[in-house]
Amino acid sequence: MEQVLAFPAKWWNEAVTVWLVVAVVIYVVVAVPGLYFIMKYRFKPGEREIGDHEKHGHWGLEALWTIVPTIIVLVLATYSFAIFKKQRTAPPDAMTIKVTGFMWGWQAEYLDEKGNTIKTVVTTFNPTGYEVPDDQKIVVPAGKPVKALLTSLDVIHSFYVMPARITEDMVPGRITHLWFQINKPGEYWIFCREFCGTGHSHMFTKLKVVPPEQFTLWLKGETNLANKSNQIKGNL
Amino acid sequence: MREAISVPYFGASLKEWLFTTDHKKIGILYLSTAYIFFLVAGFFGLIIRFEQTSPGIQLVQPDFYNYLLTGHGAVLLLWWAIASHIGGFGNFLLPLMIGAKDVAFPRLNALSWWAFFGASVLVLLTLIPGNHIKMMWTGYPPYSASGDAGVTALYVFIIHLVGVSSIATAVNFITTYIKMRAPGINFWNTNMFVHCLIAANVIQLVGVPSLAGAVTMLLLDKYLGTNFYNPAKGGDPLLYQNVFWFYSHPVVYVQILPVFGFFSEIVPTFARRPLFGYKSMIFAVWGITLLSFEVWIHHMFVSGVPDWARVIMSYTTILIAVPTGIKIFNWIGTLHGGAIILRSPMLYALGGIFMFLIGGLTGIPNAMVAIDLGISDSLFIVGHFHYVLGMALTLGLFGAIIYWFPKMTGKMYPENLGKVSFWLTFIGANLFYFFQMVVGMLGNPRRYPDYPPIPEWVTLHNIQTVGALILGLGVLVFTIGILKGLFAGEKAPDNPWQSQSLEWQIPSPAPVDNFGEEHPKVEPDYHPYKYGAPPVF
Repeated sequence: MEQVLAFPAKWWNEAVTVWLVVAVVIYVVVAVPGLYFIMKYRFKPGEREIGDHEKHGHWGLEALWTIVPTIIVLVLATYSFAIFKKQRTAPPDAMTIKVTGFMWGWQAEYLDEKGNTIKTVVTTFNPTGYEVPDDQKIVVPAGKPVKALLTSLDVIHSFYVMPARITEDMVPGRITHLWFQINKPGEYWIFCREFCGTGHSHMFTKLKVVPPEQFTLWLKGETNLANKSNQIKGNL
Repeated sequence: MREAISVPYFGASLKEWLFTTDHKKIGILYLSTAYIFFLVAGFFGLIIRFEQTSPGIQLVQPDFYNYLLTGHGAVLLLWWAIASHIGGFGNFLLPLMIGAKDVAFPRLNALSWWAFFGASVLVLLTLIPGNHIKMMWTGYPPYSASGDAGVTALYVFIIHLVGVSSIATAVNFITTYIKMRAPGINFWNTNMFVHCLIAANVIQLVGVPSLAGAVTMLLLDKYLGTNFYNPAKGGDPLLYQNVFWFYSHPVVYVQILPVFGFFSEIVPTFARRPLFGYKSMIFAVWGITLLSFEVWIHHMFVSGVPDWARVIMSYTTILIAVPTGIKIFNWIGTLHGGAIILRSPMLYALGGIFMFLIGGLTGIPNAMVAIDLGISDSLFIVGHFHYVLGMALTLGLFGAIIYWFPKMTGKMYPENLGKVSFWLTFIGANLFYFFQMVVGMLGNPRRYPDYPPIPEWVTLHNIQTVGALILGLGVLVFTIGILKGLFAGEKAPDNPWQSQSLEWQIPSPAPVDNFGEEHPKVEPDYHPYKYGAPPVF
């Protein structure tokens, strides 16, 4: 079985597939007859000059295309509701981080068991490029659910974890939340998707997903993670 | 005989134009103003598109880009998508279609136009560099209350003036429909355009005060130190979003319903048969109107509102697909068994319906809250609403301009330019907005002048720019067609499309006094779509 890259992206992808199939089927069911009628029922002088002017409608057909779409959309909404519950409920073993948005960057705080901040990552605004210095990446362990508590210092921002396909706004005066889990170590994009002024398109950072043991080291303050991790393995 | 006494109403003197209370002249004033603003805002759109062609900042600095985006959004929504067909076509057609001499309150109508004109002047003032507004047409606080956002007051006054104009027009049109119909015109033989227009104006009447309230509080917050939206003093920025979207979602139906009206006028005329499911269409229009006020939270699915509110509004939002679907099915049903003539208004109407079909189907994931969490504020949304409000609406309006051109000007729109502009616009728009949705699905956020050089994103942006160029060319050809029609067009017959509807039973251009007497004589079996006889061309 192929490994799932990220949650809740897995369910999001499934939902998109379901919608796409339904949409393509409806498109074909509507567009093909439409195009066919345009081809077939063409005005021809002397042959076909008036349309079918007796028929003003068909209650059976009209009822059919009211009831069937109603059922389809209610099923889709209910299916989306079921996924939405999973998207919004972080698993009980999730670790919590606090992320605060500002113009234009984020501050991510890592907490200990008592809820005290033990490490902080702050990104700086880079109006020209899209490179992220290593110490400004938000580091999380692979395969572990992460719950992010979000707020903002100034205007409304948002926190979009691209591989997890999840966004939530950061609203001053409120605490909002989202959760995600990335299973494959690597670096992924994080963007602000709520318009926040001049630097909006440069409010970005990278999410650095590392194996759990490297994450523990990083939390303790080690910077060269891969090196340190190998060193420990070598010692063993 | 009537030909002899009718002078072209638009050949009036400048003084008459300035002081006019004639619904047809006011309609033309609205429509031409809206069209000029459409061209300017469309040009803004092209610059926005070129800036995104490749990563990095090339053409415009982010601040100016944000001004262009704000202007593009606000002007196309308020001028092109509301004023052109409510102020323009609504004014011109409503009295003609119901057999009346004018609207119920002609002087109030002139006041509406002048309030709208005032708003247009304010929009032009924002072109002055120091007056740029950079907070997007949505104007969310706290950003819009900050110094970085530009001249928020201009934005607020523009909304106020357009709002005054809209409310006055809504009162006027609703009264006109109720009180001024010719004897014999009733609810079940009114043109679909009029049904749609009245439903749209009911939304205006209920909704505009809400938006006016939202921006008034914004004005007080920014300039007079109140704290409606200031969380530091107990206010709440989400209050703005709720009050704002309570109107600004229903407004999309204000914008699209009259276009549904255009489709419903044009398709039966060129299919030479009655509109299929006329009665269910009326129910669908009012179903949309009723539901439109129950769905605004879908703009706030990721804004931090409670989860239960998101779920409820997910259901109400997706239900709107049902009445909308009924309308599409009925247009397709009208084609069945027709004798279809593919003149350019018909091409535009059919193209608009196909754009709307894609726009509708790509609206479903925005209603499905689970999918929306992943695509909110991405370019997918932008592509989706450009299918619906951008192109279905514009194609509908272009079709309507060609269709009623003879009645407004007495000249024919050049048919060949109509066809060429249709194909350019249709192909360009699909190339542009389809790939905009794809890049949005891949994650590209909206309102970004710059983006990281992710290879797939760059390719998709390049395709969009090609599409935008073709689209721009289509609009240019269409505009040339208007000028050519006005100055060198063929003289139009009274009823070039052989329509049964009342507005075509008078000379072209429409005489100053419409029907010559208070009301035209309406046959007992009158129906606007009673196409029984072969057309005589």
